[in-house]
Amino acid sequence: MQSKMKKMVVMFIITMLVLSVGLVGCKQTTQTPVIEKKTIVFAVGGAPSEVDYWHTVINKFETENPNIKVDLLLQPMDTETRMQTLVTPLSSKESTPDVFLMDVAWIGQFAASNWLAPLDDFVSKDNYDLSVFFKKTLDLADRYKGKLCALPVYIDAGLLYYRKDLLSKYGYNAPPATWDDLVKMAQKVQEGERKSNPNFWGYVWQGKQYEGLVCDFLEFIVSNGGNILDQDGNPVINSQNNVQAVTFMRDLIHKYKISPPNTYTEMTEEPVRTTFQSGNALFERNWPYAWGLHNADDSPVKGKVGIAPLPHFAGGESAATLGGWHIGMNIYSKNQDAAWQFIKFVESFDTEKGFAMNLGWNPGRQDVYSDPDVIAKAPYLKDLRTVFIGAVPRPVVPYYTKLSEVIQKYVNAAIAGTMDPKTALDKAQDEVKAIIAQYK
Amino acid sequence: MREQREFTKKSGNWMEREARLAYFLLAPAIILIGGLILAPVTGTLFRSFYRDVTFLPPVKFIGLLNYKHLLTDVNFLQSIRFTVLFTLVAVFLETVIGLFFALVINEEFKLRGLMRAIVLIPWAIPTIISAKTWFLLYNYNYGLFNFLITKLHLSAKPINWLGTSYSAFFSIVMADVWKTAPFMAILFLAGLQSISKELYEAAEVDGASLTSQFTRITLPLLRPVLTIALIFRTIDSLRIFDLIYVLTGGGPGGATTSVSMYGFKLYILGDFGYGSTVSVVTFILVLLFTLIYLRFGRFGESL
Repeated sequence: MQSKMKKMVVMFIITMLVLSVGLVGCKQTTQTPVIEKKTIVFAVGGAPSEVDYWHTVINKFETENPNIKVDLLLQPMDTETRMQTLVTPLSSKESTPDVFLMDVAWIGQFAASNWLAPLDDFVSKDNYDLSVFFKKTLDLADRYKGKLCALPVYIDAGLLYYRKDLLSKYGYNAPPATWDDLVKMAQKVQEGERKSNPNFWGYVWQGKQYEGLVCDFLEFIVSNGGNILDQDGNPVINSQNNVQAVTFMRDLIHKYKISPPNTYTEMTEEPVRTTFQSGNALFERNWPYAWGLHNADDSPVKGKVGIAPLPHFAGGESAATLGGWHIGMNIYSKNQDAAWQFIKFVESFDTEKGFAMNLGWNPGRQDVYSDPDVIAKAPYLKDLRTVFIGAVPRPVVPYYTKLSEVIQKYVNAAIAGTMDPKTALDKAQDEVKAIIAQYK
Repeated sequence: MREQREFTKKSGNWMEREARLAYFLLAPAIILIGGLILAPVTGTLFRSFYRDVTFLPPVKFIGLLNYKHLLTDVNFLQSIRFTVLFTLVAVFLETVIGLFFALVINEEFKLRGLMRAIVLIPWAIPTIISAKTWFLLYNYNYGLFNFLITKLHLSAKPINWLGTSYSAFFSIVMADVWKTAPFMAILFLAGLQSISKELYEAAEVDGASLTSQFTRITLPLLRPVLTIALIFRTIDSLRIFDLIYVLTGGGPGGATTSVSMYGFKLYILGDFGYGSTVSVVTFILVLLFTLIYLRFGRFGESL
């Protein structure tokens, strides 16, 4: 008797499910012929809060543009996996996703593969104002061989975070301007703080073998007048300035001992942030996202943190690596006009302001930085703007992934102390030359 | 005579019909295997003869040039060296430890069922999660190992477990053995249980020692299972990716980059031709190992 009941209940549920699927199907088919709707697919990933916010953006866009439907193609959180989910459809000339976000470091490869629709025609047709964006970002990162391939949605740059309370406790009234200053301050404060906190470190930064190491490396070498490629695209990795900078990176760990030994094994953004946030470091190199977390209510260092441009070597200038995500259009897209409408909407003042207000992102548009609401919510943004204006992009070349791999490997070996900095950079230079020969 | 011929003719027809039906019934499986395995594998093989880089159109046939390049590619050779060494060490340890576990949980004792379940837990945890757990255990500041070492005064300073190529190598091996020795144990247990108890009883009557029971009865009769287990684990180890991706990212200084990771990075770069070449070589490597096992396991005989 009971089992019969059970069976009936199960049957009932199945019938309902089938019916509901059928009904939903009906509803859709009866609606479409009324207005001719264009559907574009937008691929985006990230933290859950970010994805939620993208849903809000899409809903708003659809209400304003009733003839365009946007399907969100959800990508994973991990950057490398996000890249792979784009490389696969684009390399097989799929027409979707129509629009997607790209890490700034991919643009060279994507543009050279001819996957990105040039936006210049759309810009001139609509008289679209490009001056609202950071000029250097647009010129160095978004243009490939003169063509505009992407627009910055939000940008990032490396910053120095410091403990205001500790600096004044040890008699300093300003953050360090040069790397030498940083070493001196860190050594003194570390020695004093170690008495009560044996886990205390002077300076924490990203040194694990991964993309983040290239960002830190670029900041060190550019602040010593060096670079990865020269203006003609020739590798200059083993220059005297670079060797000096990498020797300094190694010395931070092994000679001055102000950076922990796990710098080259474990330190990615999050371990660096948590070390600093739990009160175990004086200085930290990180992206702007750490600011909001350092000042959250449950943060032990809330209100004690200051930000400054990263230090430079004597005679050099402070440098910040440009990070962030850019929006681009699939060249095989069948709905390019609709896709451009969506890109314009994402880049509009209101949407960009929404990113700053809701997600704490640093907008790609400059005009958002002077908005009173934004300043009230994130006063630090005003200072960040100057850093963003001068941010240094990583080389925009199609073989960047490979180049980055080589740099990661050898700089990591150098700071681990398993290879002498000069040897490491010489080898990196040779390998990069071989890569260029192979892929140029 | 005539009758007989008629009969064979009939049976021939019947056989044909039967065969046709058999092929018909097999068709879905053949299509599936062909479409899902054979097509991609041959596709990869073909691609390895081309220069197929997304940002360097057009796709060009270059014969064996990719393979020639591979032979002088220091990064590739380094990754092969690491992968093979890792496989040899890890699979050896997994086999020994797995066999030990299997012998223990094969004996009758109280809570044996519970022990069997517990042994299997590491295998049931997704690698990416156990890798993250091991990453935390190895952590320099907060990791359990460094906590124990400093508490027990074994070393004045905490150890940077993933910091040198040797320690990173053994840290990865340890995490891998922890996860996959249970898998070996369960396979071996199944093998042990199929060995008839009478053999041991007879051996005991003849006065054979425990050691000779193990080497004369257990090991030879376990050989088919041993061969299969070794093939499984070796194939898996040669493709290792997720554990390393989490623990070291291939570092320090590229010392722990596996072949799969190297191939993955080439695909990300958009170099499908060269990436396919790496995949093909990995395939050949796996095939070689498998053939060696089949030969030494005398697999054909024991079946």
